[in-house]
Amino acid sequence: MKLREYEAKNLLKMAGIPVPAGFLIRSADELAPHLGDLGDAFVLKAQVDVGGRGKAGGILMAGKADGTKLAKELFGKQIKGLPVKEILAEQKLDIKHEYYLSITVDRSNRQPLIIFTGAGGVEIEITAKEHPELIRKVVANPLMRDLPPFMIRELIGTAPKEIGPVINKLYHIFIEKDALLAEINPLVTTPDGIFAADAKIIVDDNALGRQGFTVNRDLSEREREAEKHGFSYVELDGKIGVIGNGAGLTMATLDLIEFYGGKAANFLDVGGGAESERVMNAVRLVASVPTVKVIVVNLLGGITKCDEVAKGIIAANISQKVIVRLAGTNEAEGRRLLSEKGYEMLDTMDLVVRKAVEVTA
Amino acid sequence: MIYGDKNTGILVQGATGKQGEFHIGLMNAYAKQVGGKGVVAGVTPGKGGQQVHGVPVYNTVKDAMKVHDIGAAVIFVPAGAAADAIMEEANAGITTIVCITEHIPVQDTMKAIAYARIEGASVIGPNCPGLLSPGEVKMGIMPAGLFSSGNVGVISRSGTLTYEVVDELTRAGIGQSTVVGIGGDPVIGQTFVDVLARFGKDSQTKAVVLIGEVGGNLEEEGALSTDLPIVSYIAGVSAPPDKRMGHAGAIVEGGEGDARSKIARLKKHGVPVASRVSEIPEMVRELFRCRC
Repeated sequence: MKLREYEAKNLLKMAGIPVPAGFLIRSADELAPHLGDLGDAFVLKAQVDVGGRGKAGGILMAGKADGTKLAKELFGKQIKGLPVKEILAEQKLDIKHEYYLSITVDRSNRQPLIIFTGAGGVEIEITAKEHPELIRKVVANPLMRDLPPFMIRELIGTAPKEIGPVINKLYHIFIEKDALLAEINPLVTTPDGIFAADAKIIVDDNALGRQGFTVNRDLSEREREAEKHGFSYVELDGKIGVIGNGAGLTMATLDLIEFYGGKAANFLDVGGGAESERVMNAVRLVASVPTVKVIVVNLLGGITKCDEVAKGIIAANISQKVIVRLAGTNEAEGRRLLSEKGYEMLDTMDLVVRKAVEVTA
Repeated sequence: MIYGDKNTGILVQGATGKQGEFHIGLMNAYAKQVGGKGVVAGVTPGKGGQQVHGVPVYNTVKDAMKVHDIGAAVIFVPAGAAADAIMEEANAGITTIVCITEHIPVQDTMKAIAYARIEGASVIGPNCPGLLSPGEVKMGIMPAGLFSSGNVGVISRSGTLTYEVVDELTRAGIGQSTVVGIGGDPVIGQTFVDVLARFGKDSQTKAVVLIGEVGGNLEEEGALSTDLPIVSYIAGVSAPPDKRMGHAGAIVEGGEGDARSKIARLKKHGVPVASRVSEIPEMVRELFRCRC
């Protein structure tokens, strides 16, 4: 789950990394008491859970005179469809130079990867393409609490030495807060010292509980509902509902729909050992999406009991057509139950998907 | 065979839990069928002295190692205890560790894998179905009935999709040497590169089916690392960016790891990539035809 900017900056601040003076406001009236601390020029930043908010009008330059008026405007806006409920009012920095610092999980090395470059402020992907020589990388050993000084020297090169402790502190955040990404972009030098001007932290979804989060804000309402049932669910925008068991098989079912020229409405991985009630909940959830015209159920597994799945589909009792592919134990009984009620059961995933695409064409 | 054979004694960590008990039963049914050793010991702290399907349970891995000849371990413990289980087994000297457990925080996995590396152990998974060498050994939860023995290796980040592919291969008369599910997490122990290196040294394996998905670039790394003929399939062509597709590791992030660019890179390297699972058997046959 991606933290909001003010949450990320609070973590930085607590770890001892300087951040600009800033105040979180939930209405324009809350700005007035902070005007004295913010100085003559400051920035209003909408705290919305989307990327690219700057280009979408979510960041405004403000001053003492027009601050409250601009804050009111920003609270009235939608940024990429999301209402603005929180604004971070932040001191404007006198920036001398911008650096980029990030820590991610390196899948190939299975270790934290730390990236630093003097060419900050722009997208790292662009720097990586145009000036790869400017990017410095080290891979850390996750069993070590601190980065050894040589790694920090390798990273910062001729950049100011005060950046060293910032790197180590960000590394501590990365490890202790279960981050998958901890990024400061830009990390800036000013006449008053170093500051993390912007920060992005993504917390591991599998560690939200132990990090004290009760809700995964990256999920839509229906995705959260699915999570309660133990389903992995992703919303898409087609007409064909998809229920599968296992992430790979369900993705392959989606891809097959695209292959045959159709469009999936969702991804739903019902998980292992699907019993009738689980299947019923899954079918009802997908059927509740207004755009869904037909549902493909593709379940495979040695231990999946086809009669249980059949009972779940029948119990869901939905108005849309359900086309089923089942392989597992009690296949004959499952087929009998379904055909008795007029459901269609086909032998392969190619066949069910083709049928569903035909129905929605 | 890679990672183990009939003579590999297996330890199950989390033996007295529902999953552990269920799969000890299935693993030993398979061992009986092929005349292998199967699961010889279980471990659950505090449950030492009990038995599960006739398999003795110990409090610690070291206790079990004193009594039994153990070559591999399979982990079924909950996410909060799984990294510890990996480290306990590596420390006790087990060299092949299969971690079935899902939802382990990545920071825990990184530490456990780094530690296992120091101890000289190979970790398969986490969040994986394990491995199966038909006619020899099953370590994990794969449904043995779909498999047949032969000379095609299979490596996959997925569970049921692997079974689908194996089912297609078996129906087409193409047997498998070893099928390895390497796991759906962003950080896994054995990657495509590692398993392909083992297949490269395995005289039984003549070709490999590599089943990947969105997220990272381990598939391309693997394909570049081997001389074995490969057929690939990449799931997630229709996956939207920044969404986790069921697996913690199946995510297109920062414009990286999408299926189309993976497929393009694999094809550029000369690896045939199936656009549907059902095309895989014919493409494998084609590989062998080319070789003749």
